[in-house]
Amino acid sequence: MKKKSRNKVAEQSKLTRRQLMTRAGALGGLLLTGCDTQFYKPPVVRDGLMGVADTLTMASQRMLMSNQQLVQEHDVSEITPNFPVWNQSDPDDEEYQRLKAGNYEEWRLPVSGLVNNPISLSLEELKRMPSRTQTTMHICEQGWSAIAQWTGAPLLSVLQAAGGIQPEAKYIMIDAYGGWYEGYDMFDVVHPQTILAYGMNGKDLPLGNGAPLRLRVERHCGYKQLKFIKSIQVVSSVEGFGRGTGGLNSDFGFHWYAGA
Amino acid sequence: MSESPKNWIYRHTINARICHWIMVLSFVYLLYSGIMIFLHFPELYWGKVGFQGYPTIFKLEDWGISWEQSEELGDRRWGRNYHYLFAWVFVINGLVYLLWNAWQKKFYRKILPTREQLSPTNFKSEMVRHLKFKAAKGEQAKQYNVLQKLSYLIVLFALFPFMIISGFAQMPAFTAISPELIDLFGGRQTARTLHVVCSLLLVVFVIVHLLEMFIAGAVNQLRGMIIGKYEIIGDEK
Repeated sequence: MKKKSRNKVAEQSKLTRRQLMTRAGALGGLLLTGCDTQFYKPPVVRDGLMGVADTLTMASQRMLMSNQQLVQEHDVSEITPNFPVWNQSDPDDEEYQRLKAGNYEEWRLPVSGLVNNPISLSLEELKRMPSRTQTTMHICEQGWSAIAQWTGAPLLSVLQAAGGIQPEAKYIMIDAYGGWYEGYDMFDVVHPQTILAYGMNGKDLPLGNGAPLRLRVERHCGYKQLKFIKSIQVVSSVEGFGRGTGGLNSDFGFHWYAGA
Repeated sequence: MSESPKNWIYRHTINARICHWIMVLSFVYLLYSGIMIFLHFPELYWGKVGFQGYPTIFKLEDWGISWEQSEELGDRRWGRNYHYLFAWVFVINGLVYLLWNAWQKKFYRKILPTREQLSPTNFKSEMVRHLKFKAAKGEQAKQYNVLQKLSYLIVLFALFPFMIISGFAQMPAFTAISPELIDLFGGRQTARTLHVVCSLLLVVFVIVHLLEMFIAGAVNQLRGMIIGKYEIIGDEK
């Protein structure tokens, strides 16, 4: 009996893995094997014990998420009516202000770097892509949490639209208006709930929540959910971005991996 | 008063002593870094969601410290980094302690109350002795008393695991790993609040623990926890 149920679990996880491989394969070149240790540590491991702790946290959580299971989705009745606006709420940036004044009609999302066919998408084009809507909990590293419904294009489909990624691609770097930037590894990129959201609670993404486009990378704290997205670059190394730790938050000394 | 030949016993095993002091170090860091994190968001809520402006169940502001003042005192970047570092030290140390002891009969003899100890008479007399702040003497002092055993059991097997599990229930990754765990608490904010409540219970334990150490003789107790030797003072009358 016991053996049987264990086999079943194994089969299920194999299936998921196969699906995962297909998802990854769609990107071209990207291989995700069973326990790929490249996803167990941040791009830059900090010195000393702090780096050991970071790696232990990330590796243990990634092992527990190796099936890429979805995060809990809530009922729409649980949506928080007045979702907090945190951090920058209206980027102090000339280009952004110009695009905002034009109702983001001239806003473009360039997807470049190690992709086979660099593209630049308008908001309309993003909205025409297959979309995903999810009602999830936003957890801020400071302590608060709130529930909202997000609608957007899966990040994976956007990379597919750019012809898929090249074999040496390891991270994607997203730039935001107002000087923020953040890096993500492919483990998060292939997750079905990782979306570029243009909608919130059934409406266009409000200004304070990152209009016209923000990232939802569930399983992470709020500081990874980049708002006011400007561009996407696929890279093999995080070197050359900011202080080279793979994101503005980690440049400031926060954990690069924000699942804990 | 009995004089001369000192009556020494071997109080704590090497693993208990090492793990105890590592535990002390990690507890101090976890508490301090926890306070630093809390001061940056000095409100507590109940349920799934909670944020500034949402109904609170605790507000530091009600205690005369404004949000701005509190934020100034806290340091969540330092706090988060050290909280996770020492959480790992705490967990690994705890596992080493348990694995080291789990197969040793004497550990259970030391920590589990005997049937005589659990009798109402003994319970009552221990309660009275504690309330009079009297130290255990002679034979009595050779083993943990019933209140001591019960409080250690609660701390080791209830409060410590609760701290870890309520910590997990606050982590974003657990919305994928085990949303059931978060639901079990009744939501992420409830888990956060109970994490704080449980840490206060641990602080109460530490205060009483230190108080008892002074009542029983700080030098003797500390010697016992550092080199293992412990002097039995006085005889049963």
